[in-house]
Amino acid sequence: MIEWLESALHLTVQMGTVYLLASLGEIYAERSGILNLGLEGMMIMGAALSFIFTLAYGHLAAIIASIAAGVLMSLILAVMAIRMRLNQVVTGLALTMLGLGLSGFLASPEIRRGILLTLNPNIPENLLGIQQAPTLPEYPIPILSEIPLVGEAFFHHNPLVYASYAAAPLMWYILFKTRLGLSLRSVGEDPAAADSLGVNVFLVRYLATMISGGFAGLAGAYLFLGFQPFWNEGMTAGKGFIALSLVILSTWNPLRAILGAYLFGGIETLQFRLQLMGWKAQSPYFLAMLPYLVAIITLTLISLENVRKRIGVPASLGVPYSREE
Amino acid sequence: MPTKIETRLGTIRIERRLTYSRLASAATTLTAFLLSLLVVAVILRVMGLDPARAFAVIGEVFLVPRLLSESVKQSIPICLSALGLAIAFKMNYWNIGAEGQIYMGMIAATGIVLLHAYYNLFHESMLLPLMTIASFILGGAWCLITGILKAKLNVNEILTTLMLNYVAILLVDYLVHGPWRDPKGYGFPLSIEFPDQAKLQFLFGSPACTGLLVAVVAAALVFCVLDYTRLGFEIKVVGQSLRVARYAGMNVSKIILLGSFLSGGLAGVGGLSIVSGIIGRLRPGASPGYGYTAIIVASLAGLNPWLVVAASIFFGGLLTAGGALQASMNIPRAATQMIQAIIFLFILVGEFLKRYRIVFERGGRT
Amino acid sequence: MEPLVKLRGIVKRFPGVVANDRVDFELRRGEVHALLGENGAGKTTLMNILYGLYQPDEGEIYVKGRKVRLRSPRDAIDLGIGMVHQNFRLIEPHTVLENIILGLREPGIRIDFEKHAERIRLLAEKYGWRIDPWMRVWQLSAGEKQQVELLKILYRGADILILDEPTSVLTPHETRMLFKALRRMAGEGKGVIFITHKLGEVMEISDRVTVMRRGRVVVTKSTKETSPEELAYYMVGRSAILDFGGVESAPGEVVAEVIDLEALSDKGVPALRKVSLAVRSGEILGIAGVSGNGQVELAEVIVGLRKATGGKVIISGIDATNKSTREIIELGVAYIPPESVRWGIIPEMRVVDNLFLKAYRYPPYSSKLILNWGRMFEKAEELVKEYEIVTPSVHAKARSLSGGNLQRLVLARELSGLIGEGIPKLIVAAYPTKGLDVRATNFVHKTLLRYRRLGAGILFISEDLDEIMMLSDRIAVMFEGRITGLLERGKADKEKLGLLMSETAPS
Repeated sequence: MIEWLESALHLTVQMGTVYLLASLGEIYAERSGILNLGLEGMMIMGAALSFIFTLAYGHLAAIIASIAAGVLMSLILAVMAIRMRLNQVVTGLALTMLGLGLSGFLASPEIRRGILLTLNPNIPENLLGIQQAPTLPEYPIPILSEIPLVGEAFFHHNPLVYASYAAAPLMWYILFKTRLGLSLRSVGEDPAAADSLGVNVFLVRYLATMISGGFAGLAGAYLFLGFQPFWNEGMTAGKGFIALSLVILSTWNPLRAILGAYLFGGIETLQFRLQLMGWKAQSPYFLAMLPYLVAIITLTLISLENVRKRIGVPASLGVPYSREE
Repeated sequence: MPTKIETRLGTIRIERRLTYSRLASAATTLTAFLLSLLVVAVILRVMGLDPARAFAVIGEVFLVPRLLSESVKQSIPICLSALGLAIAFKMNYWNIGAEGQIYMGMIAATGIVLLHAYYNLFHESMLLPLMTIASFILGGAWCLITGILKAKLNVNEILTTLMLNYVAILLVDYLVHGPWRDPKGYGFPLSIEFPDQAKLQFLFGSPACTGLLVAVVAAALVFCVLDYTRLGFEIKVVGQSLRVARYAGMNVSKIILLGSFLSGGLAGVGGLSIVSGIIGRLRPGASPGYGYTAIIVASLAGLNPWLVVAASIFFGGLLTAGGALQASMNIPRAATQMIQAIIFLFILVGEFLKRYRIVFERGGRT
Repeated sequence: MEPLVKLRGIVKRFPGVVANDRVDFELRRGEVHALLGENGAGKTTLMNILYGLYQPDEGEIYVKGRKVRLRSPRDAIDLGIGMVHQNFRLIEPHTVLENIILGLREPGIRIDFEKHAERIRLLAEKYGWRIDPWMRVWQLSAGEKQQVELLKILYRGADILILDEPTSVLTPHETRMLFKALRRMAGEGKGVIFITHKLGEVMEISDRVTVMRRGRVVVTKSTKETSPEELAYYMVGRSAILDFGGVESAPGEVVAEVIDLEALSDKGVPALRKVSLAVRSGEILGIAGVSGNGQVELAEVIVGLRKATGGKVIISGIDATNKSTREIIELGVAYIPPESVRWGIIPEMRVVDNLFLKAYRYPPYSSKLILNWGRMFEKAEELVKEYEIVTPSVHAKARSLSGGNLQRLVLARELSGLIGEGIPKLIVAAYPTKGLDVRATNFVHKTLLRYRRLGAGILFISEDLDEIMMLSDRIAVMFEGRITGLLERGKADKEKLGLLMSETAPS
């Protein structure tokens, strides 16, 4: 029984980390007023590139490449949303489509082959055709991982999970206790006010957007290298969009995002486990619907408390800023 | 972004426009489109593919009659969904769920076929009309769910419509792998094949022609609704400003509910056109992203019903070309989505450039 | 002693208009310098240039003797310039402290909240203010918010302060407190630029005054050497005394009544506390008071845009409490909302669409489902002529119309009886002339008086005491959601009204 619970918790953290990484970055973007609907596209680009780069070089290169891809894509969003003041919803969706298409294109057998050979001419022949890559190794933290139940669940993971443990509280601290964070939040609430005090609204938004892109790419890399190392097109299956609902659920607070992320991780774990146990084995599809349905339900529940959340939604979210009205 | 470039011939200045000219607007869009094709060509080249040949294949799709007919067929679900989206977007209702509404429409249509096949509840000439009604209702209801949440609780419709997409797709997976699987299908996840009277070609011989007719009629209907009915006026006002709409005494909730229902309904009928016109039965992944392409089409057409028809044919052609590109040049299907996205992004940037104009003044430095 | 600020030959152009036309301006140490002019005279543009928000097309800026280029507010702040805008640039959900220290350049990453809180408290006391740095801005009153704005710039060591129409949201008491604080700042050697269009204030607080008109400086004078009449002449170019011939009113029956009305504001606090009023046909009932004391909420409850939590609204004898907006429109109520040019118009839609924003659903302009554009185009042409709306055609988009013409459009829509039979029974007008120039304001006044003659009952809300006293048959004063007094025309003067505007009524 303990074993079952332990491995269930372990899986929860594993699956939840995808959501955590993606939503941490997005919280910063939305807090600054930018809605990044390209999150899904950036995630899958991260996954695709981590696939290709792991085969060509190794894990470290893969992670860097994924983050870079996310940052570059979000830069496109940033320029279009901030400089050109185009509609962020439409632009974000276009980027998601780009990400989905481009990732499928690059990771398709023929194209992938060419890219791998260009990157690493000495790549062993057998790696050119396989559809999977080695996962990130898991490292147990000494002492902490010995704790019964909790130890295995939280302290025996791959480095990216540990990174997420550090990232969440750090991002919370920066957001609420430092000047940068204050500037960021102010830009998202009232860019005109921030501008009039000399805060560089545009720079802040660019940075925040790129942070969300970088984290999205990282989340995609984690998805692939962390526990789903088999490439198939569209493997993010809407996780990026679930992360967006998570951001709302967490009321744009990195600490609450941890709870939300693990909640969804738990739901997916549940789905997995029930399937394994043969529960409704002939229709795993309904279980697969759970995360999406839960997302809708949580969105609905939050909206019930709309008045309190008035202090939550960054007031200028999605609205482009221009100085000379 | 007033910038000046001095050349020997004169000064080129870029400044903000005061007036908008249709000609300049169209020229900008065209330029953006051509530039996007250039970028696509570069990407293909870099990946070791021959862009000229690829474009030839794409071009063929619009010129060769057989392929053109196929393109038109593919354009119908896009067109119908995009028309539905035109209504939603006009209302500032970001319906990203056309894909799911398409799937629900397909479920409804298939359901009617099955009702007839197994229970013989009605005459077979009633098939298509009933299927149309059913797909409209089910697609509309699927979107209406999100509309209710938005109208009553102000729940963000972008996320809810999106989530329901995945649910609908999984629902089809379930049905086709389970209760609705064709017993004579050798175990493949397919529904039974539709009888002739349930297929679109039944009406006019060619599914392309029938489809085109349906699309044009739908466009006309949407046009009339938006420009000549009370609801259309209300939709426009709500889309511009909720506050002003309320001030004018409009029942914003009702408008959102009706609008979302109509939007989903049209997409649902789009689903019908897939199972009845293209595939002839229900199977998983029956829609290769028509609902998402519809978003691009609606945006690019500026929500104008007639331009929607034209743009749909173009993107339908792209999809057909995608198949041809894979067959003849081994280019993966994902490339089509990539190309669509690139075209979309460039034209969006074009929208920005339309705000400026280039002014050339003779007589620079000598 | 060289001036703190010297602006020479400033020119600023916007598409279609020259906002500043070779403007010279000077601010001396220790002076309060008023910048006077009507809306659109160019005062705010000039100050935005000084604050680095705009770049001048031509001209030079000298601050404390040095020639400078201000590329952004940061540059201005670094030079000791601070600006308090008309619409507060405060971040409502954040605390006072967070608002004050935003953008402050400091070593280190961490914010030392305690240190700043103490310093802010001390600074506030110096000017006679009591501020809690930990309170959230949305909890403060308008006067307190303004104090926060001033603290923002004083905290950064500003010695050049620009205030844009600071008293428009203050009670007379708060205004006095502000003037005391400004005097103190001037006494410390700071320079204060005070943008206003109120002659009385110029005389009271300023040492010198510069009058601007249509982008140009008309004159700069020492306040002691001029008078309100002279300043008014400089401002408008001619005597702006409007004479309405004092038509005697013959008010008829009560068209609308509110009894013990209660309602909440957007923030959930009570905005109306048992308000009772009656409007009769053929009379203008003015509602005076500093905005934010429940006037808009009162209007909104009457027209059905806000829920009443208690009490009754009766229109033409029918209980209209909490009826829908549409039902109230059908009862013959017209509403000219505040900032109607912003919130009552859809700029992207055509003039004809905006004219029929409410009437589109009624015959003869539509049948069951279909709109009758033919009729609407016809009627729209008529209305454009009747209300002298300047527009290339009824198909032109509303955003191409000027503010004054848009207000005419709103009046045409609301008052010309498109719905039902005849003119509206009750007209609710909330700040209908705010932001309009003299010509447009005159038109609004004339129109309202015309409908008064025709027998409509008018509820007229305004901040401008002169305007209210000029138009109203009776004046009710609101303060903190209550009616503190009801005066007949002739029995009201500014002192009495001013007192009522800032005191709680004996209940």
